[in-house]
Amino acid sequence: MLTYIARRLLIIVPMAIGISFLIYLALDLSPGDAVTRMLNPVQTVDPERIEELRRALGLDAPLVVRYWIWFSGVLQGNFGRTLTGGVPISRILMERLPATLELSVVALVLSSIFGAILGTVSALKRGSATDNILTVAGMIGVSIPEFFFGLVAILVFAINLGWLPVGGRLLPSYTTYWDHIPNLVMPALVLSIMMTAGVMRYARSAMLDTLSKEFIKTARSKGLPEWRVNLLHGFRVALTPVVVLIGFRLPILIGGSVIVEQVFQWPGLGHLFVLSVRNKDLPTVMTIALLSVILVLVVSLIIDVLTAIIDPRVRLGGE
Amino acid sequence: MSDVALSVRNLKTYFYTNQRCNKAVNGVSFDIKKGKTLCVVGESGCGKSVTAAAIMQLLPRLSRIEEGSITYHSERGDIHIEKLERNGKPMRSIRGAEISMIFQDPMTALNPVFTIGFQIAENLRYHTRLRGHRLAVQVVELLRTMGIPLPERRINEYPHQFSGGMRQRAMIAMAMACNPKILIADEPTTALDVTIQAQIFELMTALKKEHGTAIMLITHDMGVVAELADDVAVMYMGNIIETGSVDDVLRRPIHPYTRALLASMPVLGRGKNQSIEAIPGSTPDPFDRPKGCQFAPRCPHRVAACEQMPEETFATPTHRVTCWRYEEFAADAA
Repeated sequence: MLTYIARRLLIIVPMAIGISFLIYLALDLSPGDAVTRMLNPVQTVDPERIEELRRALGLDAPLVVRYWIWFSGVLQGNFGRTLTGGVPISRILMERLPATLELSVVALVLSSIFGAILGTVSALKRGSATDNILTVAGMIGVSIPEFFFGLVAILVFAINLGWLPVGGRLLPSYTTYWDHIPNLVMPALVLSIMMTAGVMRYARSAMLDTLSKEFIKTARSKGLPEWRVNLLHGFRVALTPVVVLIGFRLPILIGGSVIVEQVFQWPGLGHLFVLSVRNKDLPTVMTIALLSVILVLVVSLIIDVLTAIIDPRVRLGGE
Repeated sequence: MSDVALSVRNLKTYFYTNQRCNKAVNGVSFDIKKGKTLCVVGESGCGKSVTAAAIMQLLPRLSRIEEGSITYHSERGDIHIEKLERNGKPMRSIRGAEISMIFQDPMTALNPVFTIGFQIAENLRYHTRLRGHRLAVQVVELLRTMGIPLPERRINEYPHQFSGGMRQRAMIAMAMACNPKILIADEPTTALDVTIQAQIFELMTALKKEHGTAIMLITHDMGVVAELADDVAVMYMGNIIETGSVDDVLRRPIHPYTRALLASMPVLGRGKNQSIEAIPGSTPDPFDRPKGCQFAPRCPHRVAACEQMPEETFATPTHRVTCWRYEEFAADAA
């Protein structure tokens, strides 16, 4: 197992480098650059001044050279500075990352727990009213986009009922960590709706599939009580595919939070990402994209290891 | 009655699917005797497995015991299994402890994510007071009795690390863990090699002799019947059409279906040119059954009376048959 993990980690390195180059290339090909953004569109500027500015920012060098400058900086933890404001990107990341992680982790935990429980209940009571209601709710949850839920939630709970704040995360008046929990409730719930629905539908079918297996009949033939047949013999086996699904949703959760963070003005990475794209702040966009890529790669490794731990039939790397 | 472990009388089990009713088991009666093997034979879909599932109260959700009785003659007195709640406590305390079951395919009948040792121990944990070290010792001992080498090591292995024959041995170890009075084996060797098959049957016979376990063996292999059975019940479309001692049924078969079944089997040593008689036609659609005798449409000896269902009649005190013309057939069988 350890050699497998080591080997996988080694493969991640060239993959991350390759992808980082592709990101750099793609953004370089997009029309305009940082300088065109910095200029005031109303005033006409001397083209020579523009060229000067380009040289000053190092934008006139060939693509590979510019990539190398950026990438060697990244390796040393220096992501550059934002083009709008000139703040070190690493500092912004440190501010934004906790907000996104907080939102994502809460949503992930909520949706995994509720999705697995509801899916199991649905499977155990298949054909019943509960099952039908949950199935319809699941379809709605999967098919309606998050921003819609977000806007409805704001309208109902923040504006009409006034129970929760409209958006934002930290206010100057907040002194303890717990003060901003009301701000977290709506974005976390909205973010977890779609994923809960997905996990639930998946857990239901995995559970139904498992319950139809022969070993469930064997378990029952041993005289075990129903809860043990269903939860120990059934759920334990159905868990493997569900864990894989949840794991692969983790990066999507960060992507999904782009929309939710926007709706609730949550100062996380997703919010920053949209802002940076709009301002054509390429160094920031690249950094966030690169982070997401590395996250996906690491998560897929973690999932492989996890499945090997839960399912004894899985042997990693053909051991 | 003291030598009877379980008696089934006029058992009817129906399946309800798509608002239609399939009378999968339509009035069967038989006894399972202590220390004896009852073989239930018949084509696929004739109700063998459903009968077994009914005894264990392990029927699928959309089916139920409609009529009749299943009486388990336990040491504490007679228990009417058909009256027990499916997964209620009294039924569960019988299941796995006093009546246990082994299944057709040991590949799928063991849970892939738990060790063999855990799965066997589970049975003991629920039905005995054994715990901890003594429980572990007992599991090892069981596996050793079943002829599994190095049981101390193998209890920590998972089903996929076992071969087919070893898995079936583990299944039998699980079923025999609490020394049940009755063992129901639903085609236990269909998925195994012939050589392994012989070993498994040898093991079952040894257990029967040693513990006096009554065995109900479901099979469609007449060779197995000849080898192992004390009594035989032949099923067709939810009825037992002929039952009796193995000598009665195999040597002096009366019912045309039993005869056809025996004629359809090749016999070793008769050479290549022996004629194997396939039974003409195919089993009727369970939703569109013949009115009278279920075998009548395929029967070469059909008469007008076969439009009515014949009664079960005793041809001899040990030999029961369901056929209008049993007297003629019995005469020419003798």
